[in-house]
Amino acid sequence: MTSRVIFRVLVALVAFAVLARIPVGFDVGFKFDAGLAVIWAFGLLSLVLLTGYVGQISLCQATFAGVGAYAAGMMSATFHVDYIVAVAVGVAAAFALGVLVGLPALRLHGITLAIVTLGIALVFDRYVFQDHAFEWLTGGTGGWRVGQASMFGLQMDSSQHLMGAYVVLLALFCVVALLMVNLHESGAGRRFRAIRDSELAAATMGVDLTRYKLLAFGMSAAIAGMGGAFYPLVAGSVSPQPFWLFTSLQFAAIAVLMGVRYVPAAALGGAFMAFVPDVLTRYGHGTLFGRQYEISYDWFQIAVGVLLIVQLITLPDGVWGDLRHRVLHARSAVGGLDGRKVKVA
Amino acid sequence: MTMLRVRDITVRFGGIVALDGVSLDLNRGEILGLIGPNGAGKTTLFNCISGVIAPDKGTIFFEGHSLVYAPPHVRARFGIARTFQNLQLWGSMTVAENLIVPMDALGRRNTFSDALHLPFSSYAERASMERARAILHVLDLDRYAGTLAGDLPAGIQRRVEIARALAMRPRLLLLDEPAAGLDAQETARLAELLHAVRERFHVSMLLVDHDMSLVMRVCDYVYVLDFGKLLARGQPAAIRGDPKVVAAYLGEESKQPAEEIASVAAARLEEAPLLEVKHLAAGYGGLEVVRDIDLAVRPGEVVACIGANGAGKTTTLRAISGMIHPRRGRVMFGGRDVTGTSAERIAQLGLIHIPEGRGLFPNLSVEDTLRLVSNTAGHDVNITPAFELFPKLRQRRRQLVGTLSGGEQQMVALGRAILSQPRLVMIDEMSQGLAPTVVRQLFDIIRVFREQGIAVLLVEQFVESALDVADRAYVFEHGSIGLSGPAAELRADRKLVAGSYLGTAVDATAVAAANGDGNGHHVDPALMEIVSVRVPAKVKRALEQRAEVEGRPTGAVAIELLEKVDHQ
Repeated sequence: MTSRVIFRVLVALVAFAVLARIPVGFDVGFKFDAGLAVIWAFGLLSLVLLTGYVGQISLCQATFAGVGAYAAGMMSATFHVDYIVAVAVGVAAAFALGVLVGLPALRLHGITLAIVTLGIALVFDRYVFQDHAFEWLTGGTGGWRVGQASMFGLQMDSSQHLMGAYVVLLALFCVVALLMVNLHESGAGRRFRAIRDSELAAATMGVDLTRYKLLAFGMSAAIAGMGGAFYPLVAGSVSPQPFWLFTSLQFAAIAVLMGVRYVPAAALGGAFMAFVPDVLTRYGHGTLFGRQYEISYDWFQIAVGVLLIVQLITLPDGVWGDLRHRVLHARSAVGGLDGRKVKVA
Repeated sequence: MTMLRVRDITVRFGGIVALDGVSLDLNRGEILGLIGPNGAGKTTLFNCISGVIAPDKGTIFFEGHSLVYAPPHVRARFGIARTFQNLQLWGSMTVAENLIVPMDALGRRNTFSDALHLPFSSYAERASMERARAILHVLDLDRYAGTLAGDLPAGIQRRVEIARALAMRPRLLLLDEPAAGLDAQETARLAELLHAVRERFHVSMLLVDHDMSLVMRVCDYVYVLDFGKLLARGQPAAIRGDPKVVAAYLGEESKQPAEEIASVAAARLEEAPLLEVKHLAAGYGGLEVVRDIDLAVRPGEVVACIGANGAGKTTTLRAISGMIHPRRGRVMFGGRDVTGTSAERIAQLGLIHIPEGRGLFPNLSVEDTLRLVSNTAGHDVNITPAFELFPKLRQRRRQLVGTLSGGEQQMVALGRAILSQPRLVMIDEMSQGLAPTVVRQLFDIIRVFREQGIAVLLVEQFVESALDVADRAYVFEHGSIGLSGPAAELRADRKLVAGSYLGTAVDATAVAAANGDGNGHHVDPALMEIVSVRVPAKVKRALEQRAEVEGRPTGAVAIELLEKVDHQ
């Protein structure tokens, strides 16, 4: 048990060391994408917990991220607090909203729950993030500009110190991801999975459904909010557009595409969401056979749709999940894993 | 002494009174049976006690706690555990994990310390694991500890459900049809197991089951429900003799003359087969479940497939009807090769498969379900023949199928099958979970099918009833056909059937070993110690002292003493 935990910590450390170095040589545009990738990865990780572990559906994860972003932006721009405090406030705000959204989930399942969360995303998109009544939170139409921000006393605003923000963000992601993997095999994780497999059995075997469903929604929202809280720092400002309804839908689609039950799939999905559209718009134009062509952002969305269909047919457990099964299968066929339990994590 | 006190419970579903002022007392240490025909309200009462539904009127007290407003997990904490008729294990977890969840859920543990794997959590984890292993040991499930629960056969899953319920350290165990789908021998072993469980874990039990042999063997006292009311209560022997109960529950025994069937069977042998299966092999994933299956059904013939659980009867039906792809062999239907043809094509040719669990849509009304046949037939189908066959369905035509009792659902499935004017109907476990009177009624319908020239292929656990109605039968044994012949012959030669039905010599030795110590297997004293010590501290100290003096493990002393008590 402990050796497995040590192994995981080592993997997280190596992943952090490698990923922290990668964007160093990038230009500013790709550095921004790197930060964005981790923010989206947080959003996908929140779905790994909520959908992958607990079996609940939510189509408003971007809303949680948005609440985190606006709350952090407000704390930083109006109160000029250390940015880590702003992040904490953003996470707390998202957690509170998550628990509230979890209330209908106590009664609803499947498609009805999906529609309710979709409605919540729509309401926040239209009537909170873009409404005058909430200017104290959203900073009006221009949003918050986070020009001067520091964390632990270090200068970390977007223009010059993008890498600093990225490294802190990445470190946090590695820690949260590690906790999520640990959670899967712990008592609480098992209770979550019990709810996923059979709510009826979970309740009659002493699992408090109210408590654990609300906890799952709260924790999931907090994870999404943690990513979102860094958005003002990475982007320099915050606007409603990144956290609109469509991002929530994209979270759901890409989480399923990459494998909704697997923590590393979230990182993979985050990078996919941030880099692929930018690479497409940057390099996706020129001349082919004497004709001008240009690949726009729409192409990315079409590609996601097509990939999702292909994946659901060929890799039902997601890209990461099926890759994992194949590797484990190949290894056990060779004989390296003889007798070892193949766990689903 | 009274542990569970149920008073005047009334439950209404819409206009139907499912329970009408039922009262019940369960004493500490008792195994209480709750029986009754289908739709009598057994499951409803059961759900009231375990908290899945709330009664409209009445009170339930458990050890002084009122249960009416307690949510299910609070009841679990009071010490009430249950099993489910339609297995509700957590399929993506291992068997051991399935046991650890209820243990942990009762303790006060923190999500964050769990995620951090703090020493406190790790310690609790190890303690839970150890206890889980001990419980699995007592139920002879050791070797499945690391297997995913969803991958196990239903019989084993049923035992894991009992193990999981015991993991909660319950004082009252609610068992919902634990013998469903078990054959006679497995049921006998279950009865022994339940007695052993009561001794080892000091639990009282409330048992709902159709299998009278189990209820009679296990229960100390029996309550009989009929139409939502208490019909009778008393000792099992008295209940069995009670004419009221016999009339309501068991119906009257009837035996069809064997000669009649024999003549019918002989008359049909000349005709060309309607369904012919040759060297069929099929399975799931890496597992080949059946191989070398040869069978034939002639027009208008009733053929039964019997055999122990897991012998491959259901898989054979699924391979024939195109629900799974056969791996080898051929399936001919009505002179055409339908091997590997899609299920809906085969259905259109007139081969209807009623799967285990009936394959109905719970949210459609009876009438809509029957009208659906029109869609596949391509023209409007008159649904009155189904109502003529089952007049009860006419009264229920507007009701949702999901709210019907099991017997009524089976009637809907059979009615739907006959409307599509099939040439062959395959029925999988028609009588599962149904009361004998209902079963008899359904078997009569199969005779009607035969009179109308519809062939029937039955998979059935009630061997006697199946052989009563069938012309011929195939006896499945470990994935192939061990024995076949006219039903009358098989019925006459019970020993022959019993030999293949109850298992081979290998199984017989296993059973002999199982019966060695009422517990199913060799007992490991170290593990026994963990579970059997629910004794007062004083007694435990005395045990330890004695163990020290005699230089043996405490568990061994405990087992010896328990055996002495058993013998007295």
